[in-house]
Amino acid sequence: MSLKEKLGNLFRGNKDEIELSRFRDEYFEILLESDVSLETVEYILDMFQQKHVKQKRLKRTEAIESLKEILLEILLKAKPSVDLLNINRKPLVIMFIGINGTGKTTTIARLSYMLKNKGKSVVVAASDTFRAGAIEQIRYHGDELGIRVISQTMGSDPSAIAFDAIEHARARNLDFVLIDTAGRMQTNKNLMDEMKKIKRVAKPDMTFLTVDAMAASDAIEQATTFLKDIKFDGIVVNKLDTDARGGAIFSIAHMFKEPIYFLGVGQKMEELIPYDPQFIIKKIFG
Amino acid sequence: MALDNLSSSLRETFRKITGSSYIDKNVIKEMIRDIQRALLKADVNVKLTLDLSRKIEERSENEKPPAGMTPQDYILKIVYEELLAILGKSSNLKIQPQTIMLVGLYGQGKTTTAGKLARFFIKKGLSTGFVACDVHRPAAFEQLRTLSEQTGAKFFGIKGEKNPVKIFNQSIEELKDIQVKIVDTSGRDSLDSDLLDEITKLKKAVNPDEVLLVIDATVGQQAGPQAKSLMDATGLTGVIITKMDGTGKAGGALSAVAQTGVPVYMIGTGEHLEDFEIFSPKKFLGRLLGMGDPEALLDVA
Ligand SMILES: Nc1nc2c(ncn2[C@@H]2O[C@H](COP(=O)(O)OP(=O)(O)OP(=O)(O)O)[C@@H](O)[C@H]2O)c(=O)[nH]1
Ligand SMILES: Nc1nc2c(ncn2[C@@H]2O[C@H](COP(=O)(O)OP(=O)(O)OP(=O)(O)O)[C@@H](O)[C@H]2O)c(=O)[nH]1
Ligand SMILES: [Mg+2]
Ligand SMILES: [Mg+2]
Repeated sequence: MSLKEKLGNLFRGNKDEIELSRFRDEYFEILLESDVSLETVEYILDMFQQKHVKQKRLKRTEAIESLKEILLEILLKAKPSVDLLNINRKPLVIMFIGINGTGKTTTIARLSYMLKNKGKSVVVAASDTFRAGAIEQIRYHGDELGIRVISQTMGSDPSAIAFDAIEHARARNLDFVLIDTAGRMQTNKNLMDEMKKIKRVAKPDMTFLTVDAMAASDAIEQATTFLKDIKFDGIVVNKLDTDARGGAIFSIAHMFKEPIYFLGVGQKMEELIPYDPQFIIKKIFG
Repeated sequence: MALDNLSSSLRETFRKITGSSYIDKNVIKEMIRDIQRALLKADVNVKLTLDLSRKIEERSENEKPPAGMTPQDYILKIVYEELLAILGKSSNLKIQPQTIMLVGLYGQGKTTTAGKLARFFIKKGLSTGFVACDVHRPAAFEQLRTLSEQTGAKFFGIKGEKNPVKIFNQSIEELKDIQVKIVDTSGRDSLDSDLLDEITKLKKAVNPDEVLLVIDATVGQQAGPQAKSLMDATGLTGVIITKMDGTGKAGGALSAVAQTGVPVYMIGTGEHLEDFEIFSPKKFLGRLLGMGDPEALLDVA
């Protein structure tokens, strides 16, 4: 059941006022079950308590309205303050990093599609030279979209490829360079060092972290610690379409200080949308 | 973090509340709260956590710790036993000719696991082959073919073919001399009814000996319901948990196991093909509970 349905069902048919503590208990379980992390749930409930500190009892509509406000506030804090399309830099180099399978490559394809539709020119660096089929995957997207992909063979140096792509963009006066990298775990020191090297060589203007909306709160929390020494500037939350409950986005917005730029809502090229708090709230509360 | 210090935190709770060594109801309540928090932080499903804590509470009130065991260790032991009960009897992949189908959500590690399984069976002396039935993800075909080159598994796929049943049917003749067949499939989720329908049909056509759910150690509360829908669509026979080399506590994966009632066979511990281990419930719970070797610690051998 989605967060929306659960909230809708909450004390249904009960028109009278209900004790504040009952709302707290119900919200606690509903939010947790929707993949909002424990810390974030506790934050939400504290805010809720503060809002109604003088009330013992509360109307259902009133309680839902104030929950909605708190959730919107959390999401608004994650709104980016810059517009990617209007950064005065050419080429704008964006590197994508993240844990294995979180949607880096698909995001690059979908973002290239979005940028191309806005009249921007793009080149992609196939700097995942590790995973079987990774180069073919990004090349497939490049061919479909009519976007140049700079690649070498499996096992070659990812930094060199990123560097070549940037040179390519400079020589042709292109707008964007998108660098795909191999998925990696924070615990893998060699791969982490390799990632730092790509960053050193390519000096990206921005680094985006991809996060899977299905990932557990613990994993997200750990990711924040793992990325302590790898600075990133923004987040893309993928696979929101698979998330019937839709709660993870709140933990991500609450736990990362970096803004969320895009949401992946499917595997099709048009299924990457700019981050939009109102859209998420509407989806949940109708 | 998370369950890392569950045992020390329980001791702390215990010490705070009472200086004495017997357990009263309040102490139990407080400890249960700690346990709940810890399980929830490790992304164990909410319902499952509540069920567990009810059982733990009941047992703690009704049972007496054996002589020489502190009450807090005894409660930990109960937690351990109840979790172990969820994981059921451990069971291994059979080393014999068979057909294995891999299913799961997007990007969980199905294709990589196909490679790892091939390496595993080939080392045991069984000829192994892949059937490339992921017709959706770009370059899924090339990814599996590369893995066949790396492992020496035979490869069958039809590039551009969109019907996985057709691909499987044609593979039968091609792979007739192969002992272990591994069928890779597309990622899918329970909200996509077309994809669920597709996997149901493929399962019927393949008639596999094993349908393995490949699930990532970082997946959260969704793991249970997602596993259930794949269970309903394909009748899972086992689970492989991947990405155990990260820091995910795999509480979600545990919930998926609780939901489906099938055994965990193997775990993935890295990107490389050799990063593959036989599942040990003891090690798994040690990690979930942040306790190293819980059996040694609790003397429950
Ligand atoms: N449903 C859905 N699937 C997605 C979305 N984003 C990515 N995927 C799928 O998730 C799987 C992994 O995506 P990739 O783009 O290959 O992920 P990656 O981070 O590049 O993976 P590695 O390079 O292996 O670390 C693929 O099957 C994608 O189609 C999304 O927003 N919705
Ligand atoms: N660190 C780590 N990475 C893993 C493990 N198993 C798989 N991966 C990585 O996870 C990512 C996704 O793996 P795939 O095998 O492509 O996943 P999939 O389930 O086939 O993905 P789709 O077909 O797109 O649904 C890749 O980057 C793999 O290298 C593991 O045990 N540990
Ligand atoms: Mg990739
Ligand atoms: Mg795959």
